[in-house]
Amino acid sequence: MISAAAKSGNLAPYLKNTSQAVVSTLKTTTKPVTVATDKIVVPTVPQNKTEFTLNSTLCRGKTSVRYGVSAPFQVRSAHTDVKIPDFSDYRKSSTLDPSKKAETSEASRKTFAYALAASGFVLGTYSAKNVVSTFVTSMAASADVLAMASIEVNLGDIPEGKSVTFKWRGKPLFIRHRNAAEIAKERAVDPASLRDPQHDSERVQQPQWLIVIGVCTHLGCVPIANAGEFGGYYCPCHGSHYDAAGRIRKGPAPLNLEIPPYEFKENNMLLVG
Amino acid sequence: MALFEVLFKRTSTFALTVAVGAFVFERSFDALTTTIFDRINEGKQWKDIKKNYEQ
Repeated sequence: MISAAAKSGNLAPYLKNTSQAVVSTLKTTTKPVTVATDKIVVPTVPQNKTEFTLNSTLCRGKTSVRYGVSAPFQVRSAHTDVKIPDFSDYRKSSTLDPSKKAETSEASRKTFAYALAASGFVLGTYSAKNVVSTFVTSMAASADVLAMASIEVNLGDIPEGKSVTFKWRGKPLFIRHRNAAEIAKERAVDPASLRDPQHDSERVQQPQWLIVIGVCTHLGCVPIANAGEFGGYYCPCHGSHYDAAGRIRKGPAPLNLEIPPYEFKENNMLLVG
Repeated sequence: MALFEVLFKRTSTFALTVAVGAFVFERSFDALTTTIFDRINEGKQWKDIKKNYEQ
């Protein structure tokens, strides 16, 4: 066999493609046999297009079942020798009876799994709560700061009609022992007439003791005690007048003097902060 | 079992069980661990030696 890889005009007359078939030397020992197979005849499905064909496919009249030797039948081998496997050993005792409804055995099957899940949730809740509270309490003031943040004052040292100044959290703290005349005067003031309306009973826990922070609510100066037109405090910076309940009565300050958290202890002691 | 029917079957009661369980667990677990810590560190903590410094 010769085959040309390229075509050349000059060589074309001398080159040509040829092919040759060689007869196989192998001979078959037997003649080929045609095996006849049964043609599978499939009944044609009638196309129910007309009333007649529709009628012919319907079950009408008496329906009968044909059986017998000549009747078409299906061979179903009954494997009576094969035993149905018994999985009872692998089953839970509550599901051994197949006729029992599943929901009747629900409790015994699911209690453990649910209890396990619940305990996991409980541990998770506990852990999450601890993580959150750890971060939140880290923002709170520490114990040494809290210890410095409150002062105790012996009220027995403050005579009636006197205002004493203490230092509390870097700010001046006024403690005023009011006399009966001052109490009566401040109680009689109508809150509606005030710039920052507060009745005297809102300003004090015990009428004879007024505890306020001595920072003017205008620009933060320290007012002077027992001065001003209202007999309470007077701010020298811009002339704000506070009365004996620490309320702003005249001048530029917008609010009453601030009241810190405090409580009265036994033995005539006062705890501020 | 009544435990399953009463506590676990409904999601609402399940969640309630978890919440109550977490509360009970926290109290008991914290109390237990605090007791163990105090027992190991007996005599070393401020509350144990406070009486020596008080007038």
